Parts: sequence; structure tokens; C-alpha cells
Amino acid sequence: MVDLARATRGERLARRASGRGPVREFLTFVLGADVFGVELARVKEILSPPPITPVPRAPVEVVGVCSVRGLLVTVVDLRVRLKLEARPNTRRTRILLAVAQSGEAVGLWVDEVLQVVRLSEADMELATTGVGTEVSEYVLGVGRPQGEFIVLLDLNALVMG
Amino acid sequence: MADPTERARDEFLSEAQEIVETLSRNLLDLDASVRSGSIDPALINEAFRAVHTLKGLAGLFGAQRLGQMSHRLEDLLDDLRLGRMVLGAEVVDTLFVSVDVYGRLLAMEREGRDEPTPAVDDLLARLDKLGSEAPSKSTPDSEYELEPGLLAVLTEYEEHRLRANLEQKMRLYRLRVEFDLTTIDKALEDMKARAKRHGEIITYLPAGEATSADAIELDLLMASRDDLATLIGALGADNVVIEEIPRRRPSLVGGEPSRAPLGEISVRGAESVTPGGAQDAALDQGPSLRSLTQTVRVDIRKLDALMNVVGELAIVRGSIARLAERLRAEGQRQLTTEIQRLHRSFERRLAEMQAGILEVRMVPLGQVFDRLARVVRQIGREMQKEIRLVITGSETEIDKLIVEELSDPLMHMIRNAIDHGIETSSRRAEVGKPPAGTIALNAYQKGNHVMIEVEDDGRGIDEQALLEKVVRLGKLDADDAAELSREEVLGLVFLPGVSTRDVVNETSGRGVGMDIVKTNIGRLGGIIDVQSEPGIGTKMTITLPITLAIVSALMVHVANQVFAIPLSTVTEALSLESAGSRMLDGREVITLRGATLPLCRLDRVLVLERGRRPPPRKSYVVVVALGNRRLGLVVDHLIGQQDIVIKPLGRSLASVRGFAGATELGDQRVGLVLDAAAIVDEVLSGSDVGRERGRLHG
Repeated sequence: MVDLARATRGERLARRASGRGPVREFLTFVLGADVFGVELARVKEILSPPPITPVPRAPVEVVGVCSVRGLLVTVVDLRVRLKLEARPNTRRTRILLAVAQSGEAVGLWVDEVLQVVRLSEADMELATTGVGTEVSEYVLGVGRPQGEFIVLLDLNALVMG
Repeated sequence: MADPTERARDEFLSEAQEIVETLSRNLLDLDASVRSGSIDPALINEAFRAVHTLKGLAGLFGAQRLGQMSHRLEDLLDDLRLGRMVLGAEVVDTLFVSVDVYGRLLAMEREGRDEPTPAVDDLLARLDKLGSEAPSKSTPDSEYELEPGLLAVLTEYEEHRLRANLEQKMRLYRLRVEFDLTTIDKALEDMKARAKRHGEIITYLPAGEATSADAIELDLLMASRDDLATLIGALGADNVVIEEIPRRRPSLVGGEPSRAPLGEISVRGAESVTPGGAQDAALDQGPSLRSLTQTVRVDIRKLDALMNVVGELAIVRGSIARLAERLRAEGQRQLTTEIQRLHRSFERRLAEMQAGILEVRMVPLGQVFDRLARVVRQIGREMQKEIRLVITGSETEIDKLIVEELSDPLMHMIRNAIDHGIETSSRRAEVGKPPAGTIALNAYQKGNHVMIEVEDDGRGIDEQALLEKVVRLGKLDADDAAELSREEVLGLVFLPGVSTRDVVNETSGRGVGMDIVKTNIGRLGGIIDVQSEPGIGTKMTITLPITLAIVSALMVHVANQVFAIPLSTVTEALSLESAGSRMLDGREVITLRGATLPLCRLDRVLVLERGRRPPPRKSYVVVVALGNRRLGLVVDHLIGQQDIVIKPLGRSLASVRGFAGATELGDQRVGLVLDAAAIVDEVLSGSDVGRERGRLHG
């Protein structure tokens, strides 16, 4: 999967050209063994994890809080929320910063950020078939650019908590 | 950013709101002055001006209802100030109603609605009904040797005031005062203020004889009860000459008023502009677009943003300090000295800036008290109880954000006090209390806290009825109930669903009040206590932090994590070893100056991971006090005191109890701020004494 996602520049260009109809941009990343995507426009920033302060008594999916230039961010472990296997953090671990409708700044902890893919409607399947029902509320659908398989997540639902 | 029209509209709305609030304050004073029997004309005048300005604003922004209503009110107030109508209780009531209607209209405007409202129509009908009960126009004799020239330039209002004063058998004086042209505005205001104690300055005119290029002489016409000697004593100065205006027929002192009415002498034409008429002339020319005061209205979020910048600058300061440390370690003595000097200067300025921003956020509690005064009046009327409201300490300052959040809880408390507390006047007579119930609203500062007391002299809380109700609601079983102390019984009023009254009415008694009050106060970092004596009254005391923006905190280490404990709750810190803890009823306690203090081990109550490291050999007790409850928090290590900016935890952490927020520590890290009130609540509810209460909450 990871290898597939780490496509060459040529392939990326080709992919872009193949787009038909309206195109949406997704930021793809790795969580556990799978590739996921969230709509790029909603991601404010990609951060290298700053020191994170654990919050006692917090829900298990909350890693803790950190400060990003004065902004207090609640960091959520997506692996827990999506019921995926935990993995040790690596130097590729990143935090995707998004702002919830409540105004809360939420950081989504991911294993590795890949790239931006542009998906035309033909490349997307806005259904939840084939994905675990427990987490289906977070799933927008799947994207299949060039035979790849990306689970598209609904960022709004994710940060709503 | 909102577009300019939106912004202008916002400005309009907040300015209008401010004027309505001033008007409301003004009416309360007026109400008091009507009751005392001597109406201060300045108050009517101020109300008139407020409504006039509102009319102008409404016109500018096309707010029809607002304009229409202001126009009618202006007419009414004009009649009042010119003595064409008597200011009675009904008129005052109508004016109070108008404040409420204004509030409603402004709320609608804010939502962009300008539509017919029954409230406005009702008010207009009421205004119509008031009609003009013109006072019997007594016609005081113009028995004074007034110069016709002077009388000719009096405005209608001034003429009315002159007449009113003569009716009250005041003496008239002419004060010739020389003013320095550069300071005349202030000097004149000073003069008026000083004169107010002795009478009223009816008008002032230039005397016409300029003594020098940079001075001007004014003739002030003043009415006073005092004699010449007293006035000279009070107002006399090098630049002031006071003389009494002689009566034509001295024999008539106190005699029957008769003869040619003063009003017939001459009435000033609208076009004659004199300094004396300047104020009124300005009013007649429509609303002034210039602000009267040099104040800026600021969105509190902007101040929060500034405070955040201060917080970040503090972090920069920390880095500079570390840099200086490094330079010194490297032996760069010259550079170290210089950078340390810079650091100190930076630190000082930063502290000033922080203090400055905090000061801007502070507003007097009077802002919310004034609103409450209106509520008291209204509820008293609805309940047909006579209420005397005594306010002290309305100048006490507190964070603007807290003030905003205070009005609802205080309103609930006052409603309760009037409804449940104060007895009917017949009942009061039976027990020998004065017919009017008293509600005292007291505010004062105590250290880092602001205390607000709501006290009534009513029947007090019926503890037995309260207990029965709680038992009936199934929140407590009878056996447990019997064991509660008095204080704990009174604390039951804050339980959800509890009301000492079974009758549900419009004012209170739904039993949704006090628990919400407690929650709201708690959200502001405050606590509420209740004291009550049967037959004597009830007193609720709210303890609030002065500001939410920045607090001094004691930084501590527990299990390798840094926590901040707001200093406002900390009374002292001591070494646990020297205190020597023991177990008492399954709880760890120490004895502190003869009293037993329960302990709470923070690492256990917060379930902190200690890893493989053993607990520290030495630990400390931080004593926190909230109201009359005290608890010792056991921590590993005291770091020291620090000013912190508390940031609220996000919504996904809303269910986590025990933390008031988080703060930046300076090294890119974040520390959690303990919510001492929540921890005390939690820990002490688990104790033997409070176990019943714990069950109640559960």
C-alpha cells in the first residue's frame, strides 16, 4: 500500500490528467496498514508532533493537549477512533490540524502523511460498503485512483468527537 | 471582517444599548428622587437627552419602531422637564416599561427584524393614556429685579426652572464669574457641581465686559435656599462676585403669588443663540454625531488575543533568560550583563502591559446591579410585595466576561429571595417587621476575589420542608437525612429539582433555579454558599475570581507532570513529613494548627502513571480553601509561582472533571490547570460526612 501510494512524479501527473468532471483534493495518509484520505481544504496544517501533555481522565482516544503557537490543540489518536491496531510512533508520525465547528482545534494523529490526490467523481465511490460498520459514521466513501484503494474520511465527523 | 455597513450597525446597536442602560440607571435615580419628594430636574433632563439621542440614532439606521417610540417618549419627557406634566408613579412605571421595550427592540434589530411588536403598541397606547395632567399653572410673580434682557434669552426649559424655583420660594443670585478661556469648560462644570449642593444654576450668559483677551466673564443666574453669606462661603473666590437679586417688594416674602406670569415677559426665539442656550440649542438641532466621551468600545475577544500575545512574549522572555544563562556559562561576561539588562527591562514592560490589558477588562459591578434594580422593581410589583433594594459596592471591579455571566444567576437569586424569602406585608406586620422587605446586594473585594452577597430579611429557609422535599424526591433517604448537619441541609437547595415551594408560578418555584445558579457560578471559577436563619433572612454569598484572563498560580510537580493550582484558592503549602499524616475514618488527614485537614493524593485521584519510578520520599501539601471547605493536595514538589493565561480545554474534553484548562509553560510544553473547586467537591463528597451528598449527585 505504502509503496503504491508513494508514486513517482510521472504517475502523479498522469493521474491528474486522467481526472474527469469536478475534482476534489484529498490529503492521503497511512494509519496502521491502510491508506486514508481527508479533504485537503479542511486541513489547516501538518505538524511534527510537539511535546504533548496527557490529560488524566480523558477519553482513551485523546492523546493529550499541545500548544501550536499559542493555540491549544486537543490531539486525537485516529487509530483508536477508527479501531485500528496501535503502532509505535516513528519519525514519520504527524499531526493533521483541523478546526471543529465548535471552534476547538483538533490534531489528528496519523502514522505518515503521503500526498495530495485529486479525485474526479468517477474515481470515488461514496458509499460505506466493505468498511467496518462501527466506524462507518466517519467514512465518506472510497477513492480508487489508478487502482489504488483509499478510505475517504469525513473530517467533520472525526473532529466532532 | 464584517463589511463597513455591518460594522456601523454593530456600533449603532452597542451604542444604543449603552444609552438604554444609562437611561435605565437614570430612571432608577429618578424613581428614588420622586419617592423622596424632591425631583432632581437634571435627571429628567438626562433622560430626555438619552431618548433624544436614541431617536437620532434610530433615524440614521432606519429603525422605525425604535424611532417612533423614542419620538413619543421624547415628547413625554419634554413635557415633564418643562413642567407641563406631573411626574407621578404611573409615569415612572411607563418609563420603566419603555426601557424593557427598548431592550426587546434592540434584540430584534440585532437579528435584523424591524416588525410590528405588540409591546411597542402597548407602550404607545399607555403613553397616550397618560395624557397631560398639566399641573395647575401657578404663576409666580416676577417679583425680582431681573433684567428684561436676561429674561428674553431664557429657553423654555430655563424659564420653567426659574418658575419652579420661585414657586419653592428660592432666592435668586447673580454670580459674575471670570473664566480663563482655555479652561472655561472644565471650570464651568466645576462651578456647576459645587453650586449643585446649594441650589441650581438656571442659566449663564456672557457679561459682555471682557477684562482681558484670554478671559471671559459670565453671569450665572442661580436659585438657592441659602443666604448670601453661605453662598459666598461655598462658592466665593477671587474670580467670583456674588450678589443677591433684590425683590421688588420685599414685603412679599412668602406671600401669595399673583400678578403677571413670568412666562409672559418674553420667550426666546428659536434663532437666538446664546452661550446660555447652547446646550438646548444643540439638542434642537438634531442628534450630534460626535461622541460625548473619549471612550472606545472594544470586543473582548480582541483583548483576549492581546493577552495571548502577552503570554507568548513571556515565553520569549524565558528564552532570553536561558540565552543569558548560556552566555554566562560560556564566560561572555560583557554580553551577559547587557542581555540581562535588556531582559529586566523587557520583563518590566511586559508586566506593565499585562496589568494594562487587565485593567481594560475590568468593569464595575454596577453594570449588572443596575439591571437587577429594575428586575427587583418589576418582580416586587408582580408579587405585590414592597421591596427596598440596598446596593453597596457597585464600584467593585471585575472582569467584563464575568459580569456578563453574572446577571442571570443573580437574577435567579433575587427572584427567589423576593418570591420565597420576603413575606407578604401583612405577614411581615404580624411578626413585627417593617412592611417593606429589604434585599441587600453587597459587593466587595477580598484579596484576589470579589464577593457578592444577596441578602434578604425574609422568612429564611424552612429546613424541615426542604428535607422532606428532598426525601420525597427520592434523592435522600430519611435515615441519612437525619444525620445531615445544618449547613449540609441548607446546601440541599442547590440540588436539581428542589424548591422549597410547591406552587409553581411565573417568577420562581419551578425548582430549576438554584442548581443552575451553582453550575453557572462554578463555570466562572466561583462558589456559592448559603446561610439562613428562620424568621430573620437568607444570605447567599458568591465568591468569584477577579479575572479569568490571567491568574497567579502555584506550579507543582506530580508524577513528573506539571500542574498549576490557581493561587487564589491556595492558603499555604507545607512539607508533608513535618505535618505527619494519620488515618481518620479511612481518610488520610493531618492536623494543621489544631484543626483536622483531609488530604488528597493528586497522583491517586488523577490516576497518574508513575512508571517504574517509586513515589518521592519527600512530598508537600498544598492547602486549598473554597468558602469554608479546606483540602490538602499532596504533590511531589513545589516549583514556584507563575502568572498564567488559562486556556479552556476543547469540547472533546468537556466531560473531564478536575481541570480548569491548560496553560503554556514556556518551553513549548503545556501544563494543566487544576480546578480546585471541582476537586474539593469531588473529594469531600466522598468523605464520610458528605457521602449522602455524593449519593445525591450520583
